[in-house]
Amino acid sequence: MAQRAIWLVSHEPGTPHGGTVRFSRRYPTVEKRAKTFNGSSYVPLPEDDPFCKALLFELRLLDDDKDFVESRDGCSRISKASVYGLPIGGKELWPVLALQKNGLIYVSVPLVEQTLSAHPPLISISGISQAFDLLFGLIDFFDSGPRTEADLSTKVSQLPDLLLHICPFGTLLDSNFLLDNFSNLSIYQAPKQPAWKAGTYKGKPQVAVSITEKVKSMQYDKREVADMWQVYGTITCKCDLEGVMPNVTISLNLPTNGSPLQDILVHPCVTSLDSAVLTSSSVDIMDDSAFSGPYKFPFTPPLESFHLCYYTSQVPVPPILGFYQLKEEDSQLKITVHLKLHESVKNCFEYCEAHIPFYNRGPITHLEYKVSFGQVEVLREKSLLIWIIGQKFPKSLEINLSGTVNFNTMGHQKQPVDTICIGGTTYVKLYFRIPDYTLTGCYADQHSVQVFASGKPKITT
Amino acid sequence: MGPRSADAWARVLAALRASPAAFVARAGAEALAAELLSELRSERLSEPTKVSLLAAILEFPTQLWPDPTAAEAAVSALLDTLALLPPRPAALRRPLLLAATSVLASCGALAPASAATSRLLCVLLRAAAGRAAGPEQRAVRATACECLRELESCHPGLLAGQLGLLRALQDTLGTQAHCLLFVLTLRDALGALARAGPGAPAGLHGLPDSPGAQWPGPWDWSLAGEDVRDPAAPVGREGGRPEPSAGPLDLTPPEARELRAAVSQLLDASYLLTPPAQAQMLQQLSQVLRTVRGQPPALLKPQLVRLLGTARVSLLHAVLASKDAFGEALFTAQDEALLLRRLVGAAQHPALPSPARLFCLHCLLHFPENWPLGPAGEEGTPVLLTPSLATGLLPSLLQDPPDLLARLHLLCLLCGEELGADGRRDCQGTEDQVLLYLQGLLASLRQGAAQPGAPRSSVTLCFRASYLATRCLASHPGALAQLTKGLAELYQARPCLAPHFVDLLEQAGEVLAEPLGKALQQVAVAGAGGAQALQWHLQILTKVAGGQPLGPTLGFLWAALGQGGDWAWEQALLGACRALLRGTDLSGAGPRNLANLLQELARGLDDPDSRDRGRLYYSLFTHLSGSKLGSALGPTRSTPMLGSSLVEENEGFASALTVQEAQAPLQLRRVPQQAKEPPVILGLTVEASEILYSLELRFRVLGPHYEPLEAVQVPCLRPGASPKLLLLPLEPRRPYPTLLDVSVLYATPGGLTCYAQLPSLPIAFADLFLPLPPPSPEVTHPPTFQELWASCLPGGAESCMWGPWQGQALETLVTKHWEPFVMSATPPTSYRVAIRLPPSSQLLLQLEAAGEDGVRVALRTDDWAILPLAGEYLRGLGATL
Repeated sequence: MAQRAIWLVSHEPGTPHGGTVRFSRRYPTVEKRAKTFNGSSYVPLPEDDPFCKALLFELRLLDDDKDFVESRDGCSRISKASVYGLPIGGKELWPVLALQKNGLIYVSVPLVEQTLSAHPPLISISGISQAFDLLFGLIDFFDSGPRTEADLSTKVSQLPDLLLHICPFGTLLDSNFLLDNFSNLSIYQAPKQPAWKAGTYKGKPQVAVSITEKVKSMQYDKREVADMWQVYGTITCKCDLEGVMPNVTISLNLPTNGSPLQDILVHPCVTSLDSAVLTSSSVDIMDDSAFSGPYKFPFTPPLESFHLCYYTSQVPVPPILGFYQLKEEDSQLKITVHLKLHESVKNCFEYCEAHIPFYNRGPITHLEYKVSFGQVEVLREKSLLIWIIGQKFPKSLEINLSGTVNFNTMGHQKQPVDTICIGGTTYVKLYFRIPDYTLTGCYADQHSVQVFASGKPKITT
Repeated sequence: MGPRSADAWARVLAALRASPAAFVARAGAEALAAELLSELRSERLSEPTKVSLLAAILEFPTQLWPDPTAAEAAVSALLDTLALLPPRPAALRRPLLLAATSVLASCGALAPASAATSRLLCVLLRAAAGRAAGPEQRAVRATACECLRELESCHPGLLAGQLGLLRALQDTLGTQAHCLLFVLTLRDALGALARAGPGAPAGLHGLPDSPGAQWPGPWDWSLAGEDVRDPAAPVGREGGRPEPSAGPLDLTPPEARELRAAVSQLLDASYLLTPPAQAQMLQQLSQVLRTVRGQPPALLKPQLVRLLGTARVSLLHAVLASKDAFGEALFTAQDEALLLRRLVGAAQHPALPSPARLFCLHCLLHFPENWPLGPAGEEGTPVLLTPSLATGLLPSLLQDPPDLLARLHLLCLLCGEELGADGRRDCQGTEDQVLLYLQGLLASLRQGAAQPGAPRSSVTLCFRASYLATRCLASHPGALAQLTKGLAELYQARPCLAPHFVDLLEQAGEVLAEPLGKALQQVAVAGAGGAQALQWHLQILTKVAGGQPLGPTLGFLWAALGQGGDWAWEQALLGACRALLRGTDLSGAGPRNLANLLQELARGLDDPDSRDRGRLYYSLFTHLSGSKLGSALGPTRSTPMLGSSLVEENEGFASALTVQEAQAPLQLRRVPQQAKEPPVILGLTVEASEILYSLELRFRVLGPHYEPLEAVQVPCLRPGASPKLLLLPLEPRRPYPTLLDVSVLYATPGGLTCYAQLPSLPIAFADLFLPLPPPSPEVTHPPTFQELWASCLPGGAESCMWGPWQGQALETLVTKHWEPFVMSATPPTSYRVAIRLPPSSQLLLQLEAAGEDGVRVALRTDDWAILPLAGEYLRGLGATL
């Protein structure tokens, strides 16, 4: 259960090499084990440059996409769960776990404690999930704070030290890279204290709980394709409490007609879960007998802010219902959009916008439109209309947009191309945010937080 | 070279990191390593610079110290540096420990005899057991534990003797580092005991608490394995976990109780560990419980319930691993169903990152079921995963390609099962729906790929999806026909996708290849896409034309011939012709037309090389029968990497004409032969493991001291027949031992001619021994031994030695080795031996038993050059006694 090497590669489109290795770390003791375990199927780790080249090629991040290359484009070479095989010196380096995020590629090569002559299933490689933990930890580390080049360089320069503490020999000791200082690392904990809790808090006790829900919906307005909408939420906590291991229990409540929470995944600091919480799953047919709370989460909080749990829910209707029609007439498009806010949803937005993109058509040359509410912005070069609806729907809760759009079909080069949105296939995408409101109705209040620690904490939800 | 500054070091380390092999080759490993070690003690450099030097040592020890002895010295130097550090907190202490461990473990210096090993182990154990409080001490303690853990990982069983101490440390200090170290040591110790079987020296003597015992006394290496375990584990499982043939380990009841207590204590404390550490501990404790007989896995249960709910991939993975290890003993059918539902939930959970979801999906397809139906190690849907359960996992066009493919794969597997079960008429409705959905999806993907500017990624996606779908559509001719039709249309729209089609035809198997080949041929010969598409059509025809009717293809090729083109175009044209030559449809007017075409090619192509090839095809076609033509032009599997199409496609043909290098399917054995007079005869038997014809065994004596040997012909060898005896006459020019190089040329029943090199045979000094020639009739008095003895000098040489043969040994020796050569004897004490060594030397021995101590051997020879050989020979006899 160890990693042979870790790389951080930045993808730089347009540069001669297409990217550079920002950081690499090899683990020679693990490499020695790999040699023994893999036997004749052992493939040594390449040096940074050839590795970077092979990786970018495999991930299709180089510009030479012109020719069919069997090792990359072959129809039977389907990579699983972001695990790739890189051709290196006539052999294949496998498994290479590579995750891309914000122009960076995070790579780890886990040790496989058996021969590799045939690829074993990933599930049988004990180091693979550790590689996931490691890379997710790194992603969190690099995604925090401002994403400037200076910030990136600072963080890269911190990495060697960080890994010297968290992963000195390729075996991961903690996946939390967001540390303030090394001398007080939680993994060097004092006896009988959680290894994920760095020190103790001193000061005014307080507990903050916040619930964020997101909704994903696709409406086709077609009889043969079912519309889909899905709500999922995250509970984020920050507990500043004194004592080594304060116990906290947070209960989430639903109103009487609220939609039950499902597929609940919790933070590892949660000490126990009710079987009803564990079994409530979105794969079940919904009925009235479904468990509808309260959902209790007893835990010992870490010092930092953390995601206590994630859940999904099946609300009975989507919050906003949409209708979009597009007709091609001569050289212009006639579009009609209707939006309707459901009456049960709080009509108080932080923002609400509808994006109407046009693909494969060239830049917009002319637009005539009529809206019943809000205003429209035109991004001609991007072939995009943005309908800004604002903070509130009107009383009727229904709004319309209709208009005609013309395009310059000749200037096709720099315009967005899409292989799905061809001809009449297109979409409207809605972006909105409603503060202090949950679609499921799920809430936590003063009474739903129980703290077993000295002092009376201030509770914010 | 003077000492470097911090900046200079930064540059050096950057260069080393960029290309370690090249840098070390340039700078010299030895010099660089020595410089690194000495700079660590320099007072000029700051601590951060020194830490960066140590980081380089930590990462590239094998390049810096390629040899274990040097590595050992380096470890000692690092430990000396550590000892010189002032007692106040120092940032160097931890990196020094890490670097020393890394060098020791990765350079092969970790061994019982190594002084540095025992020194480092003592330092680490002492540091790990330190009691001082304070952040720096805590960090050093944890680091020491990590170092010990790494050494134990590289050499399982190394710390088995310290189990008691580690248990005590884990009890009193209870930090994550101590827990992890103890668990690993426990697992390895039990594994070593289980491997050693019932005869193991001791049970878990160290496990019961015995604080203060044992250390740092002499190290016990008895349980330490050679190196990391040899992966002799069953396929599909990770290596070497003790599942010994002897079965699980039996512990005495008190030991078993103690073990159970230790395990439950560790599990109770596992909540305090970080998630990755919890996952490691759980996996290793499962292995512990599996090693020992009668340990109930139910101990793990309370923790599993807690872990099942978490969003961590590693924890979920650990739960699945313990499920795999214990099956029904730990997970009842209901538990299994719950786990599966959790997994389905996680695989579609929008809050998880996409790779984590995909990993869960992968786990679903390899779900460790209690009662698996399918073969182990293959992907398949678990029995409990019903289509209704998987509705949330349907693929959709809006997903990322990896998501889409993984979900499509699942759908196909589900579909395949559904469609395979003929009896299930009741779910006909869902089945059709699923099929329709799948077809719709594939059609949309094809539409995407058919766009004129579609990027290769979307094309690849379409072909991968088609490849996956083919597997489950095999039993659905209607759907397969639609897929074929759709793909043919795609080809018509974009002939430049030909390489993808060729790849698909190769990978998808006969089910798709047959109908798709036909459809593609039709599109190709219709000439879609105009002149630019010609090269793609030729590529497709090269792949498929062989199995299709000749007529249309020929028509197309004739038409193409009219257009003319460059060398590559001519080669493509010839490639298509070759496919036709190998094809099956050689009836009617086809062959004549083909011959005409080939003749036209041989005459009309621009490039002489192409014309030659055309002519070759024409001659082959007009002279060889169908089956021979097929094998002459057929591809061979042996050399798939050849770049030139010319070489590649003539490989099969050429292989029938050239001699193949092969592994020798025969064995040579020496049989003793005793010749009475020259030449010396070497006896050999030959046995074959397969039928071989027309063998020619060629012998070559290495060195200049023998006459060349004639080759030996054997008409036939069959396995099982009595071995064939060969007698080789050796004619030495000088009587020196040598090596006989043997090679063989033979024909196989398949008609190939092969050449093989056999292991060399040694010809020993004693092989050349002959008795003295019998006296010729003219000589009335054959020379006595004494006369011979005297005649050796002064031209020859004499020597004397002592043989360690006591009592009866001398008699045995003489009977065994010198029987034919004895001239006179008074058994058992005195023998006179005269040996003739061809071509013209002799060796005389006088052996006199000297009491009980041994034998005095006096030897003379008329050829001084053989004296050392004789001495060596006699000493060899002494050694074999």
